[in-house]
Amino acid sequence: MSPGAGPGGGRGTAVLRVLGLLGLVGVVATVWLGLWVTPPDRFMGNLVRLLYLHPAIAWVMYIAYGIAFLSSLLYLWPRTRALAWDRLAGASSEVGVVFTGLTLVTGSIWGRPTWGVWWTWDPLLTTTALLFVLYLGYLAVRQIPGEREARARRSAIAALVAFVDVPIVYFSVLWWRSLHQPPTVDDPVTGKTYVHGSMAWTLLLSFVALTLVYAWLLAHRYRLAALADLEEGEGLELAIAERRAEAGGVPARGEEPAGADLVGAAAGVPDPGARGPGAGR
Amino acid sequence: MSDSTVLAPSVGPAGASVLSPAGAAARRARQARTRRRLAVVGLVLLAAIGYLVYKVLTSALVYFETASEAVAHRAELGNSTFQIEGVVVPGSIRQERPGGTGALGHAPAGEPPADLRFIIRSGSVEVGVLDTGAPPQLFQADVPVVLVGHFLGSTDSFSASQILVKHSNAYIAAHPGRVKGPTGKVVR
Repeated sequence: MSPGAGPGGGRGTAVLRVLGLLGLVGVVATVWLGLWVTPPDRFMGNLVRLLYLHPAIAWVMYIAYGIAFLSSLLYLWPRTRALAWDRLAGASSEVGVVFTGLTLVTGSIWGRPTWGVWWTWDPLLTTTALLFVLYLGYLAVRQIPGEREARARRSAIAALVAFVDVPIVYFSVLWWRSLHQPPTVDDPVTGKTYVHGSMAWTLLLSFVALTLVYAWLLAHRYRLAALADLEEGEGLELAIAERRAEAGGVPARGEEPAGADLVGAAAGVPDPGARGPGAGR
Repeated sequence: MSDSTVLAPSVGPAGASVLSPAGAAARRARQARTRRRLAVVGLVLLAAIGYLVYKVLTSALVYFETASEAVAHRAELGNSTFQIEGVVVPGSIRQERPGGTGALGHAPAGEPPADLRFIIRSGSVEVGVLDTGAPPQLFQADVPVVLVGHFLGSTDSFSASQILVKHSNAYIAAHPGRVKGPTGKVVR
């Protein structure tokens, strides 16, 4: 299989490359607008510039776990059960864990100069830290050995359990008293967004840009998971073929194409060479 | 182990008759054990989630008490450490440093931060605060703050060891009327 050919091979499709490029352009534009074009905030001054990074990262965290939750449900639902959903849930959760880590780090960096502390056991911060650990646990569950379908089923159940914390994180600033302010975009209490002019547009762009980056990472991680499944399946077939060869010696003439197909180029290439120019001489 | 039960029929009539029932029994026992373990894990998870829901319903997770609540609970709180919240009353901030001007600022290098005094308000209740730590850079009048500390002696004054500045979810440009001209200088 040549690089780039087929859904599972090579370095991905042209669509994926365009997606990655759009994400990169979006991030560069966000950095430019966020650092040079937008004004300082009336209260925070230049500290406001983390507004163009931290909320968008947290947003990606939410959609990543949301997609992992939905695809786990679709795997568990008998009518839609397919390993593709399991791969999607795994890929999305992995990206989600990275963005949860980034949420905690950027939040901490923002908290030190604005609140005055790197960390406080505020309900939102505590439940987010819990979220990070829960999904690390989910990724660990995915690695427990077992038959492919059994692994997929237990992973899907673990994903549903871990997701319980996601709405708790989102609503923690409303349910409990918190140092952290309520969401900036679409405040659940008032339904309004309190961001000024160019700051609002830059904030919106950061959401779009990081969502594109998420989609790009997800697609690549999914592709890798599909390749790993393919390798696992072919590896098993190859092992069976080898044991058959050991047991029965040279397979019958009619069975050879199947074996040659699995071994691929190694077994197939010498044949045409022998029959080609060599045969003519 | 599972291999032996799978292979048992091919071992021969004698092997099959001895191995199969024993293998089946072992498998049943193993399945029962797995089910028991899963039930325990499920129960623990349910208990954890139930506890969390209980906490939500009883609002036991209190990150801070407002100044008015704290004064109302003054007797219960005693001298225990807790978080108190209120808005810094304008004009109440005093910084006492020997020979200092009383203006808010950071301590010179090598010197401990000067004692900071201010008043926080919530509703109609005001609480005097003595802070011994360095205030965060955004500390100023008219902002909501959360203070870590305890009531002083038997008074209604609060001794804070840490100031946390709350901020709203509104972001407003510092100088909305200003734009940069072609030379890069700010024009009005």
